[in-house]
Order: sequence, then C-alpha cells, then structure tokens
Amino acid sequence: MAKQKVPMVKRSLFSWIMGPNTKLQLLVLVLIAITVFTRVLPLEMQKRIVNEAIRLRNVDLLVHYCAIYLVSVVSASLLKYLVNVLQVIISQRTLARMRKGLFAHIITLPLSFFRNTQPGLVVSSIVSELALPSNFVGMAVAVPLINLLTLVAFAGYLFWLNAWLAALSLSIYPAVVFLVPLLQRRVNLANKKRVDLTRRLSDKVAESISGIHEIHGSGAYGIEDRKVGAIVDRLYRIRLRWDLLRAGVKTSNNFFTSLGPFLVFILGGYLTIQGQLELGALVAFLSAQEKLYDPWKELIQFYQAYQDGMVSYNKTMSYFDAEPDYALTPPDRPPLDIEGKVTVQNLAFVTGDGLKLLDDISLSLKPGDHLALIGFSGSGKSTLAQCIGQLYAYTNGHVLFGDAEVEELSKQDMIRNMGFVSQTPFIFDGTIEENLLYACEAMDDDSQQAASRPSLDDKIQVLHQTGLFTDTLRFGLNTIFNPGQDDHLVEQLIRVRRSFQKQFGDSLAEYVEFFDENRYLYHSSVAANLLFGSPNRERFKGARLVADTYFLDFLKHAELQRPLIELGADLTRQTIDILGNLPPDNLFFEQSPIAPDELETFKALNLQTQRRKLHQLDEADRAKLLELALRFTPGRHKMVSFPHLLERLILEGRALFKEKISADDPEAFSFYDKEQYIFSQTIQNNIFFGKTTTTNVKAQDKIVQSIIHLLIEEDLLETIVRIGMQYQVGGKGDKLSGGQRQKLAIARVLLKSPKLLIMDEATSALDNKSQARIQNFLDSRLKGKATVIAVVHRLDIIKNFDQVAVMKAGKLMEIGTYDDLMAHKGVLYELVSGRQ
Amino acid sequence: MNSSAADNKSGGGCEFQENLEILRQIDFFAGLPIETLKIFAYLCTREKYQADDYLFSQNDDDGQAFYLISGRAVLVHTTDDTQIDVLQCGPGEFMGSLALLGSMPRLFSLQAADAVECLVMTREKFTRAIEQFPELMPRLLKSVVVNIRSWEKRSMAAMKSKGISLSGMVGISAQ
Repeated sequence: MAKQKVPMVKRSLFSWIMGPNTKLQLLVLVLIAITVFTRVLPLEMQKRIVNEAIRLRNVDLLVHYCAIYLVSVVSASLLKYLVNVLQVIISQRTLARMRKGLFAHIITLPLSFFRNTQPGLVVSSIVSELALPSNFVGMAVAVPLINLLTLVAFAGYLFWLNAWLAALSLSIYPAVVFLVPLLQRRVNLANKKRVDLTRRLSDKVAESISGIHEIHGSGAYGIEDRKVGAIVDRLYRIRLRWDLLRAGVKTSNNFFTSLGPFLVFILGGYLTIQGQLELGALVAFLSAQEKLYDPWKELIQFYQAYQDGMVSYNKTMSYFDAEPDYALTPPDRPPLDIEGKVTVQNLAFVTGDGLKLLDDISLSLKPGDHLALIGFSGSGKSTLAQCIGQLYAYTNGHVLFGDAEVEELSKQDMIRNMGFVSQTPFIFDGTIEENLLYACEAMDDDSQQAASRPSLDDKIQVLHQTGLFTDTLRFGLNTIFNPGQDDHLVEQLIRVRRSFQKQFGDSLAEYVEFFDENRYLYHSSVAANLLFGSPNRERFKGARLVADTYFLDFLKHAELQRPLIELGADLTRQTIDILGNLPPDNLFFEQSPIAPDELETFKALNLQTQRRKLHQLDEADRAKLLELALRFTPGRHKMVSFPHLLERLILEGRALFKEKISADDPEAFSFYDKEQYIFSQTIQNNIFFGKTTTTNVKAQDKIVQSIIHLLIEEDLLETIVRIGMQYQVGGKGDKLSGGQRQKLAIARVLLKSPKLLIMDEATSALDNKSQARIQNFLDSRLKGKATVIAVVHRLDIIKNFDQVAVMKAGKLMEIGTYDDLMAHKGVLYELVSGRQ
Repeated sequence: MNSSAADNKSGGGCEFQENLEILRQIDFFAGLPIETLKIFAYLCTREKYQADDYLFSQNDDDGQAFYLISGRAVLVHTTDDTQIDVLQCGPGEFMGSLALLGSMPRLFSLQAADAVECLVMTREKFTRAIEQFPELMPRLLKSVVVNIRSWEKRSMAAMKSKGISLSGMVGISAQ
C-alpha cells in the first residue's frame, strides 16, 4: 500500500488497471503471447496439410500435422479460457475494491453533503454504477492486447505468404471500421428519439387516464384518441427507421465479412492458377480471413466498454468528490482524553446560501455542568448542539472542548469523550445488545488497545437508567425456547407459573385467555387450536405441518380441509385488498396473517383465486391457502369474520386429533399440561398458561409488573432480560416503538460513559414517566460528573439544569439559571407562562 | 380497562368492516379515499375501559385518538388540587384528532364515566400510514383548519351566552 494515499474519488480509472492487479496482468500478458502463437500455428498447419501431406499423399505427415493442429487449437481454447478467468478475477476484485473504497469514503463525508444526496443515489452508485468501470479494468490489458497481437500476427503471416493478397484481403477492414460506426451513430440518434417519444406517449396516456372523469364528462373520446394517435404514429415512424437502420448495420457487417472470401478467391484463385501461390497458402488465407473478423469486433466492443466505463466512473467519482470535514484519526498521537469543559466563543454558522443559522453565540460550561437549550424550532438550538458535537463544521468563532478547538480534533478524539443522541436516532438491524454496544464498539474499532467491553451489569444498568429494562424484559418474555436448551430455567418457569396462578390468577384473569381444552382460543392460531399441544416430531413442526400427509388426511377426515382453504382464500383477498400496496413495513403487518415478505406471493395467489374455483387451483396454491388459514388468529386478524360453524368444527377436530394421534403415535405431541413446559409457546404464555388478550399499554404494564414480581422471587429477572437483549429489532429498528428507539439510542451512548453528553431532543418520543425517569437520572447521577447539553422542547423539565439558554432565530437571547431568568421576566418567562 | 381483542369471536360480523363504517362517519377521516380508510380501519384497535379508568391523562403525550363506541367519558382539567369537568363525551364522539398530527402533551384527562368501549388510533400508525399517501395531508389539514374555526366559534357563542367577556380570552384561530 502506498503511504501517501490518493483519495478514492481522485483516482483515475486507469490507476485501477495495474496497482494490486499488476501480477495478474503480467500473467495475462504471458498467456496472451502464447495464445497468439497457438492461433497462428493452425494456419501454417493447414497450408502444410494441403501442400505437403495431401499432395504427396503422405499419411504419416498428415497425422503429424493434424496432431500439431489439434494441440494448438486445444491449447488456444484453454489459454483463451484462462485469460478470461483472469479477466473476470481482475474485474471482480476491482469491483469489490471500488465498492469498499467508495462506501468508506462516502460515509465519512460531512452531514451537509447528505442534505442534497438521496440514499438511493448512493445505493445505485455503489451497487450498479461501478460495474461498468470494473468491467473495463478487467478487459483493459487482455482484450486490446490479445486482439491487436492476433491481428498483427495474422497479418504478418499473410504478408509472408503473399504480400499482394494480404494487402487486398485486409483492405476491407478499415472500410468496416469507418462505415459501421457511421451507421451506428444514426441508429443511436434514432434510438434517442424513440426513447423521448416513448416517454411522451406514456405521459400522455397517464394524463388521459388520470383525467378520465373529465373525458367521460365531456365525451371527449375523439380528442384524446387523436392526441394519443398522433404520438403513436410518430413513434411508429421512428421505430421503423430505428429497426431498419439496425438491420442495416447488421447486414453491412455480414456483407463485408462475406466479401473477404470473394476477394481471396478472385485474386488468390488467379494467382494459384498462375502458379504464383500454393494451394495450401490459399486455404490458409481463406481460414485466416474468417478469423480476422472476431478480433476487429472485439476491439470495437472494447472501445465501447472503455467509453461506458469511463463515463460512469467519472460521473460517480466526481459526484462524491468531497472531503470529510475532520480527520478520522489523529495523525501523530493517541486519541486525547478530554475533560468535559465546553467554551463557545462568538460562534457563527452560515450556510452556503448565506443563511445565518447561528449568530455570535458565546457560553461556557464547567465540567459536570448541565445546560438546557430551548427555543422555537428553527431557532438554531439543534444546530448549536450539532456544531459542538462536531456534526456540522461551524463557519466562524470557536468551540473549545476541554482546551482544544473542536474543528481541529479528529473524529476519534471526539467519540472517545463525547456522546451524541440525535433527534431521530437510528437503530440498525440486529439485536438489542448489538445496538447497545454500537457506540462502544465504534470507539474500540480503530484504537490499538481495546477498551474493556461493558459487562452484563453495565448493560443492565443502562437499561434501567433509560427505562428500557421493562421493554427488554418484555422481549425476553416473548421468546420461544428450544427443548433441552436450559432445563433448569424451564423448571423455574414452571414454578413461576404456579405462583402466578396463586397470586395473580384472579386479578389478571381479564387480560388472559387461559389454555382450556374445552374452549376455543381466540388469541391462538387455528393450528394451535387444532393441535392443542407442541409437536415432538419434526414433521409436525412449523411450516412442515401443512405438508404432512398424516395431518392433511386428518383434516379431510375431520371435514376441515375445504372450509379452511376457503378461509385462507378469504384472508388472502381481504388482506391483499387492504395491504396490497403498502411497503413491507412491520408496523403494517403486525395485525396481518401474511408476512411482509410473502406479500408478492399472496398477491399472485389472490389473482389465481379470483380467476378459478378453489378446487381448480393446483396443489401448491391450495397448500399456501391452507397454511394461511392455519395461522388465522381471530383476536388479531380482524379483516375477516370467523364462521361459527368452523369454530365448532375445529373444536371437534381438536378432540378427534388427540384421539387419533394418541392411538397412532402417542409420543408425537405434548398436549398442554399445567405441569409441563410448552416449548412451542413463549416464556410469558408459559407463565400464564394462556395468552394475553390485550394490546392496551396500561394493561400490559400491569401484567409486566406482576411478572417482574414473580421473576424476582425466583431470581430470574436478569436471566430473562439477558434473553431479551437477543431480540432482533428489525431493519431500521422498526420492530421497536419510537420511544423504545430513543431509549435504546440514549442507552448506547450512556454505556460508553462520555464526559460530554449532547442530547438533541433525545426524549421527544417518550411518555411523561419515561422522560422524567431519564431527567431524574441525569440530575442525580450525572450532575458534576458529566457535562450535559440538552436541546429541550418541553419546558417542565428544565428547572434542574445549571444553565438555561434561550435561542431565537440563531441568536442567544438569554442565558442563566432557571430561577434567575424567570425572575428577570425575559424571553423564558414569556415562553413558560405562554405555554402553560 | 380491558382490551377487547376477543371481539372478533365467531358468528358476529367482521370487526374490520364495522371499523370502516365508523371511520366513514368521523369528519376527520370522512374526506379520505376508501382505500386509505381501509388501511386505517385495519390499523385501529378496540379497547375497553372500566368506569374511572383514564383513557389519557393530563400532560401525557400518548398520541392516541379515541372514537367512543359505547359508554360515556368526561374530559377533566386539573389545576393543583381542583378538578373541573370540561366536557361530557358520549357514543359517536371522536376525541384527540390533533394528537394524531403531532406531539400534543394533553391539556386535559379523559376519564371513563362508565364502561367504555372505543376505537383507538395511535399517532405512530397514523403517521406511518399517511406517509404512504402524502397527497392526502393537505386534505387533513383543511379539515383541521375548519375544525379549529368552528371550535372557537362555538366557544365564543358559549361565552357570550354566559356573559363572559371575550377580551383576552379568545382569538386562537386568528393567530
């Protein structure tokens, strides 16, 4: 690796050709030299076979030459394949390097860069735009070299055979090289017009359809027909022209290729008759003529690949040609330990178009001081927090963190000493625990000595501090255990179940639907209602159940198959009708039997069920409908009504199934039993021996409080929370509520115990109680220990801050303690009295 | 305070269809196209509350809107120790539409007077769904504007009839 690295976006496309690929490219070079030799050799052999072996009727010689011919043809193919392999390796390695490099560069760019950059653009740049340039890099040495050398070698050989004939037969290629691109240019022009017109046609059709009310209202069918018709006619003409020109290119290519042999025959034949050319040489000419075409073609394609690669490379690189605002790591020293002192002097932040977002701000904080920033939205309070946190580069004035100018600190200096919680925190796909460790791991990432990893106690502590503890506990309670995973825990949970029945059986009865053999469970799936137990055989588990012949036979026997398939079709129709056009967001699919990733499958299936009768569907489709019906849980899936008859049939089916399977395979199921752990159910359902019926937040709180009480008795609380930390939060954390996301974001920053904590409306999505809890933690635990700068939009939590700063239109209006400012009756007083 | 998720019991009608009928009667939603209403009808849930339970509490930013299906509730305002009943609500009333649109720490509490069943929509669901139809936002805003004006008009009429001076008391819709 070079020491002085050129930034990724400044590199030329050509610099990728050699670099780390140098060895491979040299190998390509050697292989090509041999390949070219093995390409010319067969020509000479052809000549000798005709001239010597055939003319002299010498079979030995024939075999000898043919053997050489064969060997060279085989090795030519092998070598060409090898060159191709190397080409692919080089191009793919380059693609991987370009992608990594560009991504690493892009994410270090300043936040302001992303205000005007859509995520989609970054995605397409990294995912698709780099394919063409890297394809070119793969070809860059191999293709021009092999083809040029082949051409030169062939030409040399032909000139050696007969200069006149060689000159004549090669003369058509320059004609092809000039003429075909000329035609091609006209094709491209026509194509461009075609694309434009197609777009106009779609715009016009879209317009007509959107305005269909008006068309019907005025009966203006004729007008619209004429408008669309005119475009269609023009499109017809241009497409005709485009197709004819394309055919022209193809024909002229073919014509010139066929013209070659004609020239060879006319002149070569004449020379042979005159005895000036051997018959073998003529054969060699004919076959060389044919083989000359491919190198030409490949060279032209290579030129196209070069153009395409260059354009998309330059476009991509120049778009991202910006520099990070700050160095990532300090150049010549270990990261600093900074004390939590903050001094802001005459700070200003002016945007590119001259807007003053911050204007002459000065304030100072001692280590451990807490500052509340308040003001209307747009007053600059978030911008100020972001400038102090090095998220935006301020334009004038100073921000000192400790004694260092924030602008001159490296990113690593900052993240080691400061924690920033943004207004809309981002949670990444993964577990709760992984997200908790996100900030800590980032801190360790580049440094030599890994800071000690937070212990389980540390993690649980921050969960408590942020109020995420109960949420995590709830995730833990919703976990399903595998048999044998932790036998001891299972025994403890059975004990918890007994205490639950004793202590809360009555008071929580209204929130729980207990497992009762004689009643339908509206909060369990149809499958659970039928089986009423957990399977011990793989064939009955999960998705396999619906494919199991024993189970399917049972459904037929219990007369459930048809009504269930009908239910499945009903569910499909209704769910697709409601959710069909929504994005695959978990929030929309919580109350749906169809999972987001199955939406497309069921859309297609829905079309089938509309076109055909259920019995006409093929087996796979019927199985899908059945599978869906087996998931149906009336307490959750409200889009269809649940036929009374079906409920009775399923209840009867439950008894029937138990009877049947107990006779056929008594070990296959563990039926719900108050003394046994149910492995197909969550921990919470096991404790209840039933399922909760409520989604009401307050009721759920009550339930969780009772469970916490029981878990503490068994000393299980931390165990369950530890399990809960493995909960998968989904892409962008969308399986968490807005409040949970904020709590998690605060927790992950607290976990690294920063000396400066900046919170940019970090608790805005929290309910009162959670907000008060976090505020209380800041007041009692962090005051005097860590400096806190909090952008606050609620005025009832600012009383305990050491300083309150009121901002308006980028200016600091007043700053002081809450009591002083209130006594002073300035802006804060107005805000407080106006708002309450 | 019991959710009634078990209402979709067999035999009865389909809860989703009933919800859809309800939403069509609510002014706030009535102007929306049926495809969008279907999504809202699907996303909202039914909750049951017992007498004295709070549907929402003063100062909380719970982000929920309630349609009372049955039962009565009282909107109360608490200052220090005194509690004033502000409004009586009964079946068919829709409370808290503004809480769907943005952060809205409650200025009042809503307390069930007897057993209450209601349809509940949360801000999170509402926002995520409406994000899919950005073109509908202006329509909702229009209905909010109309509502604010008629609220103030009503309270002015009420104040006049009770002989309370309007000076310094009203003018919200003019700000």
